[in-house]
Amino acid sequence: MSELNHSSSPALTARAHYVRQPGDEPAVQGAPIRAKRRPQYGQIVTGFVAIALLALFIQSQAQNPNMEWGVTWEYMFNPVVLEGVGVTIQLAIFAMLISIVLAFVIALMIQSNNKVASIIGRGYVWFFRGVPMLVQVLLWFNLAVLFPKILGQDTNSLISGFTAGLIALSLAESGYMAEIIRGGIISVPAGQTDAGVSIGLTRNQALARIVLPQSIRVIIPPTGNQFIGMLKATSLVSVIGGSDLLTRVQLIYGQNFKILPLLIVAVLWYLILVTIAGVGQHFLERRFNASQPGSRKPRKHSPAGAAATTTTTGGAP
Amino acid sequence: MTQTAPAGIATDTMLRIDGVHKWLGHLHVLRGVDIQVRTGEIVCILGPSGSGKSTLLRCINHLDPVDGGVIEVNGERIGHEVHGGQLYEQGERRVAKARQHIGMVFQHFNLFGHMTALDNVTYGPTRILGRPRKEAVAHARQLLAKVGLAEKESSYPSQLSGGQQQRVAIARALAMEPRLMMFDEPTSALDPELVGEVLQTMRQVAEEGMTMIVVTHEVGFAREVADRVVFMDQGRVLEDGPAREVLDNPQHERTAAFLRRVH
Repeated sequence: MSELNHSSSPALTARAHYVRQPGDEPAVQGAPIRAKRRPQYGQIVTGFVAIALLALFIQSQAQNPNMEWGVTWEYMFNPVVLEGVGVTIQLAIFAMLISIVLAFVIALMIQSNNKVASIIGRGYVWFFRGVPMLVQVLLWFNLAVLFPKILGQDTNSLISGFTAGLIALSLAESGYMAEIIRGGIISVPAGQTDAGVSIGLTRNQALARIVLPQSIRVIIPPTGNQFIGMLKATSLVSVIGGSDLLTRVQLIYGQNFKILPLLIVAVLWYLILVTIAGVGQHFLERRFNASQPGSRKPRKHSPAGAAATTTTTGGAP
Repeated sequence: MTQTAPAGIATDTMLRIDGVHKWLGHLHVLRGVDIQVRTGEIVCILGPSGSGKSTLLRCINHLDPVDGGVIEVNGERIGHEVHGGQLYEQGERRVAKARQHIGMVFQHFNLFGHMTALDNVTYGPTRILGRPRKEAVAHARQLLAKVGLAEKESSYPSQLSGGQQQRVAIARALAMEPRLMMFDEPTSALDPELVGEVLQTMRQVAEEGMTMIVVTHEVGFAREVADRVVFMDQGRVLEDGPAREVLDNPQHERTAAFLRRVH
């Protein structure tokens, strides 16, 4: 009791008007009181339970004859599977790039003063975001029913499973990306446009040169998220034989009936891809989300560093 | 205390606002505003919030288009032209060109967040006026020195205090060599301690003979620096006269009531 009282010095108890004198230090005798955090009992218990459950599961499956880990391992680096992984990566990257380009156009249309363009843009988002991706994949693959010939070519030979999948994924994704980009544009305060316009830019120039560069910071992190989603969405292409990872795994187990071991191959590969993308996204986020534009791009020479901040606020000379 | 500008310049009109009306939705924000500002004159616009002061400034450089009336800067219509007694809005490019010579300083500074202080100041001269980069940088450094921020040229806006940002914003506007400078409540968003440095910078600009319109609540600044004070309420000019007269001896009871409360 008496030990804890030492901070209430006379100065603290009764003073109507305190003025700090040079050399005034808080009246503390001896070591400051140490505060100890409460142990996290709940966390410890949760940990034990989780480990126990995991151990049980592994123990039961390790001996499950239907798991056939040997088969999984055998097909993990099978050339056919690896090619499928390549196709999946290609699909995801190309679909993402195409969708971003489309989405920029759509976002600018929606934001523009041109009412007609704005309505068309909104309609686009409404349709491609509204129709399930799987349905869009099937629609594009069966385009030949509506248009047997495109530019004199046979539609079915022109649009392979891969192409149909790529088109479907790109269009469906562009609906989401358009909204993300539009959100980025909206997140930049209107004052930025005002300022750009006030020094003599047109509204479109201000949008392109002042607002868009600043919206990238907001657009990048969710785009990384969408890319991870896209890596997984490529598996939808398997319904039209898009020769992606899942398609090939299905082809193999269609022949040897080792269904589960091969599905595990797909699971592991998707997890690997998603993990790599996740690490990339983490770095992107760190770069674009947390940091201010200034802290990541130090200029060649800044004569007086942080110390100058306090000295110059005193007023203009 | 720039009482009258030199006689030769004093006669011509820098800004003519004639019967300007503006609606925002159903709100009649400006109800026939007439103001004239001569070259080199410093005019402070006072008034309660919602009186239309800021909207008026935004109308002058056509950030918001007027719904009626005439605004001329240096004899040149901004944003509209007249054909057969009817006002027609000009194309974006022409308006943008006309705006180059009207500097504007905003309540929330609005520095370009992705550029350093120096780039903020050189952007207009290099990218809009097409000045050589070297020349623009030299001029920008002069301006930053003038507003007391020479050593802050490589800082980003987020690294500057509000007062510093506003001073960079003033330098950015001056870099375009404007004929007219408009200040829209330049100190309203600042910590009380930082107001002084911005007012000091504005005083400096005023002493160099710049024509200035300042929307402000700083009555002290108006008394000291302004040649004329305009008092606005509910979209109308209620009083317009020499700064001292309006501030010390307001004729309209609304002005008097406002000044009593602000003092």
